[in-house]
Amino acid sequence: MAVANEPDAFDAILMAEARFHGEGYQEGYVEGTQAGVMEGRQYGIQQGAKIGLEIGSYLGFSMTWLRLLQKNSDDKHSKKIKVLESLIEMIQKFPHQDPIYDKLQEDLERIRGRFKQVCSLLHIPSDFRLSKEGSALSF
Amino acid sequence: MKDSLTLLARIPAHPDSRCWFLAWNPTGTLLASCGGDRSIRIWGKEGDAWVCKSVLGEGHQRTIRKVAWSPCGNYLASASFDATTCIWKKNQEDFECVATLEGHENEVKSVAWAPSGSLIATCSRDKSVWVWEVDEEDEYECMSVLNSHTQDVKHVIWHPNQELLASASYDDTVKLYREEEDDWVCFTTLEGHESTVWSLAFDLSGERLASCSDDKTVRIWRQYKPGNEQGVICSSTDPTWKCVCTLSGFHTRTIYDVAWCYLTGALATACGDDAVRVFEEEPLSDPQQPIFTLTAHMARAHSQDVNCVAWNPKEPGLLASCSDDGEMAFWKYQRPEA
Repeated sequence: MAVANEPDAFDAILMAEARFHGEGYQEGYVEGTQAGVMEGRQYGIQQGAKIGLEIGSYLGFSMTWLRLLQKNSDDKHSKKIKVLESLIEMIQKFPHQDPIYDKLQEDLERIRGRFKQVCSLLHIPSDFRLSKEGSALSF
Repeated sequence: MKDSLTLLARIPAHPDSRCWFLAWNPTGTLLASCGGDRSIRIWGKEGDAWVCKSVLGEGHQRTIRKVAWSPCGNYLASASFDATTCIWKKNQEDFECVATLEGHENEVKSVAWAPSGSLIATCSRDKSVWVWEVDEEDEYECMSVLNSHTQDVKHVIWHPNQELLASASYDDTVKLYREEEDDWVCFTTLEGHESTVWSLAFDLSGERLASCSDDKTVRIWRQYKPGNEQGVICSSTDPTWKCVCTLSGFHTRTIYDVAWCYLTGALATACGDDAVRVFEEEPLSDPQQPIFTLTAHMARAHSQDVNCVAWNPKEPGLLASCSDDGEMAFWKYQRPEA
């Protein structure tokens, strides 16, 4: 019996390195995955919040200007109103719930372009300060 | 071959500074130059000599990179590193700044006037191209801000007879734009250059576009409309622009400018190796695969980088060039006898 057990004992010793290596790998893999998910989530929240803050600011800005301009019902603001409405529509159509939307960057660039156009038409420098912290509007 | 390009005059246009760009007015009687000295000079011919008719200073705080005449010849636009574009109105001999276009975040690199005269395009290091609309009262309104390029935009030009805009960039591409429902959209990207595209020029018909680059080549692109006989595939209703010719091996440094003469069809280049070169298309070469030959090579045309070449729009063969050495030169180009 002892003779029959001997090769297994040796086996266990001889294979120990490979076994612990495998276990270590598994443990590390799980831990790494968790850390990665957390880091990714953090980064996603940060980036998402940035984009949200940016286009949210544009939306608030354009809604306010639209109201102000609509008060004066003369025709001279018709062009500005049209461009403001177009910006609002672009923001409302922007899929803020879908992070894997393939045209996200492209649409965002178009919104930024339209916002700059609005600023130019309203004679407002587009790098003006929008938030209290004093950060310039260069997201 | 050397005799095909003869020096007519050499003028210290912007002494102790760089001379960046030249633009002939539509009638070819006046030449505008701009430079690192923040001034624009207007040159006219008196007898055989080119004399400075006026100096437009005080419009810009920094280098003036490019100037462009309106198609009517009564206005001049200037693009500056101070992030603004000025519009100058001609009153008899004098010019007055009537508008300043603001909006770019930093250096404006180029400005171009559409053939209709009612649109202006500008481009900047901020990676954007802006289209401005002009009304009767000299009011300029932004029509569109195009963020298609991923890097510094070096040059913008309009198609000679259509409302089609082209831009060249540090991202190695050329982009073409057209109007769509009160807005402008990029409808195609011309890829092929291996480095910065510095300048662009359409031929007279507008069927072909030449682009020059830091990769030391000039590429000729040809327009193929949907349903073309050659079977070039077009997506939807937009034409495809295909590279039909690459001029390589002629230039030893960056090519900063290219100019296509509307009168003779000759193609001139301005190069960082201080030379001015002229190319002509072989008369019998296949339009789908044209062959261009070097017909003039003026080594040391200037003592430093040549920044710009400009064909006079009325006098065939009259070419102006300018350089980092602050000088501009006038050349007479004559096609060599076969």
